[in-house]
Amino acid sequence: MQILKKTQLKSWKKAQEIGAEKVLELLEKKGLVGRGGAAFPTAKKWRIAKSQPVEERYVVCNADEGEPGTFKDKLIIKKNAETMVEGIIIASWTIGAKQAFIYLRGEYEYLRKKLERQIKEVLKKAKTDIKIDVVRGAGAYVCGEETAILQSIQGFRGQSMYKPPYPPVEGLWGKPTVVNNVETLTCASQAILFDDWDTNLRLFSISGCVQKPGVYELPLGIKMSEIIKIAKPKNKLKAMSFGCFGGIMPINENMPVTNETICQNQCHHGAYSVILIDETYNVVDICLSIAKFYTYESCGKCTPCREGTIRMLNLLKQVRDGRASKKDLETLNEFAHHVEETALCGLGQTSGEHIITALIHFRKDFEEYTKEKKAKDKLKNKK
Amino acid sequence: MKILINLLKEAQDKKGYLSEKVMKGLSEKYDIPLSRLYGVATFYMHLKITPQGKNIIEVCGSPSCILNNGNTVEKSFEEELKIEAGETTKDKQFTLYKVSCIGCCDEAPAALINGKAYTKLTSEKVKKIIKELRSKESSKTKPRKKK
Repeated sequence: MQILKKTQLKSWKKAQEIGAEKVLELLEKKGLVGRGGAAFPTAKKWRIAKSQPVEERYVVCNADEGEPGTFKDKLIIKKNAETMVEGIIIASWTIGAKQAFIYLRGEYEYLRKKLERQIKEVLKKAKTDIKIDVVRGAGAYVCGEETAILQSIQGFRGQSMYKPPYPPVEGLWGKPTVVNNVETLTCASQAILFDDWDTNLRLFSISGCVQKPGVYELPLGIKMSEIIKIAKPKNKLKAMSFGCFGGIMPINENMPVTNETICQNQCHHGAYSVILIDETYNVVDICLSIAKFYTYESCGKCTPCREGTIRMLNLLKQVRDGRASKKDLETLNEFAHHVEETALCGLGQTSGEHIITALIHFRKDFEEYTKEKKAKDKLKNKK
Repeated sequence: MKILINLLKEAQDKKGYLSEKVMKGLSEKYDIPLSRLYGVATFYMHLKITPQGKNIIEVCGSPSCILNNGNTVEKSFEEELKIEAGETTKDKQFTLYKVSCIGCCDEAPAALINGKAYTKLTSEKVKKIIKELRSKESSKTKPRKKK
């Protein structure tokens, strides 16, 4: 796998030889974009931070991999942490930061001791005075959001903040801060060193109703039928959910999986977390599980998300219990849109995506539970 | 560099939870208002301000685990321990939680037990794990034989 190739500090050596500006040009040429879900051009983010007229800057490696169905960063931390650390050193040096943090999610605490040893070893071999500290996450999905992660590091509740200002302009303690995903920083180190580094290869975390779940490195544009073949479904597949936040779409075996085709199905690729759902499940039950997740994880700061996630869950429960009409499905849809349009941060802004997309693609599953359908079935049974 | 969430976690590592005494101690040592410490501690799932069982079990309740019999595994823990998610056993040996995705989706259904990942769980495995944890505890408290 490309992502597991080790750069062994040769990338750091090359970066120092060619200089910061050439590093940025190289990353632009290689087309590296963020791998945490937002796909922001990496070099652009580094340039913004670098160009701020201040002395102090920071780098944060976002290892708070909390999106359900995502486990690719865990693979990198377990098998190629040294290259990730090298990427952090290069990012820090390029933008002029002396201090970096790795925000490691609390659920990966069992990886921390080995990671800290590896950080120490790489820093010693790199002969740099850049410091890298591990911040111990404590079980808050919202801390995967860039402003929330900064609040957490600064010793506050991990609640999202208004943007602007954006972190590369004003982040930790008011200073320019680059927040990059584990995979992005690992790729940065590899893209600088390896001529044949391919930006088109992405890590797909595949799980759900399959016999061979796992992290697979696949090219964008691969046909969905290929992904299904690799994952080996247990039964005939019905739907594909992109984590919890990216929406649910039907299986279309002939579809090449690209950012565009996923978007055409009203979904978002995110970090390519693919949860495969088979025909033995009603999509409403999946939406219920996702809606519960959002009620737990809402940081509580803004009303649309804090109250809206609970209301969406309650409406879904009404659907599931057969107490909803077809008109209630319209209310649910409208409500999900409203929460997304008015919430403060990415969590709330995507909390209704599963409902909106499920109603578009799997309306029949919802109608199965409505009062009208139940009345129809009752009449049918009487005859 | 002193990072508050790290300080709270280190303090919790020693005593299992953040008691009032521990919080007051941290407040004095680092000159942080007590209200701020509680404000932070009550935000995070993993920071506890009430006593916990000796063994903390966190069963994943996210879609990939649910799609792989996760609900059955959760019920198995509840039956073995005779408590529901969110409760502690009377002997204070176990606290059970249902949590969001723990990142073991490719080895679902999964749980974290005392911070360690237990994967591909079944009802049988759950029984075995609880039995082992119980016997580990009883061998610690067994009185020494007199010579």
